[in-house]
Amino acid sequence: MPELNEFIHQAVRLRIMAALVALEPASEVDFTHLRDLLQVTDGNLGAHLRKLEEAGYIAVDKVFVERKPRTYVSATREGRRAFEEHVATLESILRSE
Amino acid sequence: MDISPSEAQEALAAIEIVAQKTRQSIAGSGAYVTLISTGIVWLGGFMATQFLPEGVVPHIWLGLSIVGGTLGTIMGLRAGRRVRNPSTAPMAKRIGLFWLLLVLYGGAAIAVLSPMDGRQLTVLITLFVMVGHMAMGLLFSFTSVWWVLPISALVLIGYWLFPGWFYLWMSLLGGGGMIALGLIIRSRW
Repeated sequence: MPELNEFIHQAVRLRIMAALVALEPASEVDFTHLRDLLQVTDGNLGAHLRKLEEAGYIAVDKVFVERKPRTYVSATREGRRAFEEHVATLESILRSE
Repeated sequence: MDISPSEAQEALAAIEIVAQKTRQSIAGSGAYVTLISTGIVWLGGFMATQFLPEGVVPHIWLGLSIVGGTLGTIMGLRAGRRVRNPSTAPMAKRIGLFWLLLVLYGGAAIAVLSPMDGRQLTVLITLFVMVGHMAMGLLFSFTSVWWVLPISALVLIGYWLFPGWFYLWMSLLGGGGMIALGLIIRSRW
């Protein structure tokens, strides 16, 4: 049985990846919308996003829209692959019951 | 790292809930906003066309279209800020040009086929708009175009089978149907 991805399995990071992978590939979600969707604080989300970015699972793009700073987040190809593998492992654990 | 099957089930359930919420809030937002705002315009406009004197009807359509268009644009812009897709952003000008050309071709088709009665004109304009929505969906993999086919079918059924009550049909089944679909997507997608 393949190993679970401990890094992704952390509760907040798991939900972040689930949200990002649900988007169409190459789509980016606004930081504030992601925060509201997951019902986490700015600090908590920011900390987990940094870790996911360092792992290469997500990409963060900071831009100015109408002179206001906005942060967009997307899952990388590597992130999508890692998340899908993690989900497959969870499903195999469930099947082995 | 080892976890029990019940923990795996909890994790999968959490993933499913977030994925569903994301689809509902992002992918579905464009669909239900478009459906509900267009549905309200159709419901009011066609109801007026069926029952009110001819002189009043164009003013009602104009008012409803402005309100519906403004509402749809504001909601669409808000939804667009939540999620962006850099790969489709450069296509914005082409999308605008496509709709402009569709309007011009539609106008040309109407001019060639004139004179037409109100029902024929309604069906033709509706079908052109539906073709536009369908093209957007097929070209850009938008998730909100599947509703085009049933609405188009309803328009044609009403045109051929219920000519005397066509506008009422368009109001209740076309407009009401769009509102109902929009509400279903909003609550269940």
